[in-house]
Amino acid sequence: MKRVLCLLSVAFGINSILYQRGIYPAETFTRVTQYDMSLQLTTDAMLKNYLTNVISQLKEWLFDCTVQKLVVVITCLETNEVLERWQFDIECDKTAKESSAPREKSIKAIQEEIRSVIRQITATVTFLPLLETACAFDLLIYTDKDLEVPEQWEESGPQLIDQSEEVRLRSFTTTIHKVKSMVAYKRTNST
Amino acid sequence: MDDMEDDTTIFSTLKSFKSLISCPDRSLLETEPAYGRSDLQKLYTKRVELEEAAERVRSHTSMLQLTQEKQQMELSHKRARIELEKEAHSSTRDLQREIDRNRELLLKIRRLEEREEKANQALNEQTENNKVLKRNLEELHKKANEKDRKLTEADQMISELNDETRRLNQKIQIQESKFSTQNLEIQALQEQLDVQRKKYQDVSQRYHNLQSSHSISTESELKMKELERRLALQEQDSVIVKNMKSEMARLPELEREIKRLREENTFLRETKENNSLLKEETEGLRRKLERVERVMEEKLKAELEKEKLEQELQAWENIGQAAGLNISIRSVEKARAELLPEIAQLRAKAQEEQKKRENQDSLVRRLQKRVLLLTKERDGMRAILESYDSELATSEYSPQLMLRVKEAEDMLQKVQAHNTEMETQLSKAQEEAGTFKLQVQMVTSELEALKEQQVSNTEKNVLATAEEVSSLRQKIEELETERQQLEEQNNILEMRLERHNLQGDYDPVKTKVIHLQMNPTSIAKQQRAEDVEQLRLECQLLRDRIRKIEAGGGVTTDDTTLIIPPSQEILDLRKQMESAELKNQRLKEVFQKKIQEFRTACYVLTGYQIDITMENQYRLTSVYAEHMEDSLLFKSTGPVGSGSMQLLETDFSRTLTGLVDLHLFHQKSIPVFLSAVTIELFSRQTVT
Repeated sequence: MKRVLCLLSVAFGINSILYQRGIYPAETFTRVTQYDMSLQLTTDAMLKNYLTNVISQLKEWLFDCTVQKLVVVITCLETNEVLERWQFDIECDKTAKESSAPREKSIKAIQEEIRSVIRQITATVTFLPLLETACAFDLLIYTDKDLEVPEQWEESGPQLIDQSEEVRLRSFTTTIHKVKSMVAYKRTNST
Repeated sequence: MDDMEDDTTIFSTLKSFKSLISCPDRSLLETEPAYGRSDLQKLYTKRVELEEAAERVRSHTSMLQLTQEKQQMELSHKRARIELEKEAHSSTRDLQREIDRNRELLLKIRRLEEREEKANQALNEQTENNKVLKRNLEELHKKANEKDRKLTEADQMISELNDETRRLNQKIQIQESKFSTQNLEIQALQEQLDVQRKKYQDVSQRYHNLQSSHSISTESELKMKELERRLALQEQDSVIVKNMKSEMARLPELEREIKRLREENTFLRETKENNSLLKEETEGLRRKLERVERVMEEKLKAELEKEKLEQELQAWENIGQAAGLNISIRSVEKARAELLPEIAQLRAKAQEEQKKRENQDSLVRRLQKRVLLLTKERDGMRAILESYDSELATSEYSPQLMLRVKEAEDMLQKVQAHNTEMETQLSKAQEEAGTFKLQVQMVTSELEALKEQQVSNTEKNVLATAEEVSSLRQKIEELETERQQLEEQNNILEMRLERHNLQGDYDPVKTKVIHLQMNPTSIAKQQRAEDVEQLRLECQLLRDRIRKIEAGGGVTTDDTTLIIPPSQEILDLRKQMESAELKNQRLKEVFQKKIQEFRTACYVLTGYQIDITMENQYRLTSVYAEHMEDSLLFKSTGPVGSGSMQLLETDFSRTLTGLVDLHLFHQKSIPVFLSAVTIELFSRQTVT
């Protein structure tokens, strides 16, 4: 249950990033109430399909504790430059995987932390520079080197930003995973 | 057919025969030209016979042919007749069909005419559409040109971006190489750090050992000093104890005296209490005395009032007896009756109080006697005590003795406690002194051993140790500085690593980055590339179109406007326009000339230059005007073209008031007026 929470939070986080940054038009999102918060979920079929693919694979890897980071990369289509990187560092407590005894952290506390992370994502819109050109996003996963790459996946570069500013956001912990979030954006010339 | 075959065979035989004839003729002629003519004549006759036979055959054949032909002709005639009849039938049928067709065709023609009209209308519409489409074409051409521009710009941008990407790739490579070198440096530095840390740990351990030994030695010295102090204190305490012991010997005597004094004290305290009780009784008695005295006074007053009241009563009784007022007497008697018990009560009270007073007086006397006795006893006791004090060779009174006794008791207790403490401390100190002596002996033995060791080594070793110590200290300092530098570098590297981690960097040895092949960014990029391709294709198509149009005869000016060759109508219309404009110009010139001529003619003939100043106003200036400004103003009134005029007032007209009155008011004729004016002016001119 708590692992699933971690995944759900990641999915909602990605959706809220896409909605807030305007990668897809706001009309393609519907409002959903969860964790006592209203969250925006996409209705675009292709996007949903893509997200379910990634998240189902991520679930496996989370279970095996082979995932190190999950990155949402936003690139400008005209110039092919990376404009923003939302990075989620996942630290896995491997010992907890084997023991089946329930830990002490309550589900409510975890939900509260996830809520605060999503609120923080919404709040970061105030200081992030505007995305004026048409943009597309990509999901990168940092895994252990010896992991077997499944069929539809391929290796890629880290897609770093040239001249970036970084901001650390809140982290939240389930009993098994600790997720640290941060956002890096391209420094604009006016700043 | 058989006839034909026979004919052919006949023909073939004829041919062969002819050939035979010809050949031998030739052969005969060629080979034997010298033979005699007889042969020739025979031959000739043969030939003639043959020819006649041939001709007969021919004629026979021709006869046969003709007969055959005749038969064939007859057959054909018959056939032709049959066929003609058939054809006639068929032609009749065809005629009927054609008549029907004609009707149908007429109908079709009507429909087609209608369609033609519709087609004409459609044609007109289509021409209009064509015009519209031409306009659209023009617009599209413009758009195409704009798109061309954009495409060129896009191409430029793409080339620039390619260059930039190349530069960036180069930069990335350079930075990657730098990063790898930095990683190597970091590893080397980390190894150095580890080595240095080990050295530092060894040195620090040695330092700690040295410090511990120093501290142990200082602690032992301190303990020695403390022990010496304690010994001194204990000697002092022992002296005090001896004094105290001597004083302790006096204790039993003091205890006896104390007992006696205590008994006397209790007795004195009881007497004090009795004294206090007696004092209180005396005070109470005094108060009672006072109250009794007051009561006595009140009693005296009451007796006086009673006497007064008795006198009044007697008076009242006299008055009553005199006047006979029984009622007043009764009231007075009532009052008297009321007063009597009160008087009795008062008397009883007074008696009681007298008795009390007597008792109290007696008590007072007794108390005073007791007091006297007690004072005498006290004096006696004081004398005893003084005697006791004198016996003890002290001249102080009892309270100070008591204080001294108390002090002595306190001192006793303190001394006892102090004694016990001192005894315990003595025991502890003796034990500690014993242990410290042992430790001191150990330390001294160690020191002696160390000294012996140092002594056993040569003098150089002493120096060497000193040198070693100094060198170690220098090493320690150097290592400390190195450690600080390494710590700073470590901090900087950690900051860089943190920064890189935030930026998304990773260790290629341990991690790798993967993503789905079909991800939105790649899809978007593909779509963009496709869009660009489509735009390029469109551009090319438009460019081809433009080239074709140019080849068709258009002229391009500034690459934006494309002038399609104008149609004939437009050219005709333009020509008409030009001709019309020319006509207009010519007409205008002609009009101007005519007007000028007319005006000059009017001026010359009438003697007035007529100008139209405003719409309905006419200004006339005479030829013989004395000044240039002299003019008459006329205004046309009434509808246009009616000709009715009115004279307006001017400076010049005021000078001609007589003429105005005469000709305009009376005669109502403007031409006469005008002519009169000219005459007047002319006369003026000629005269002056």
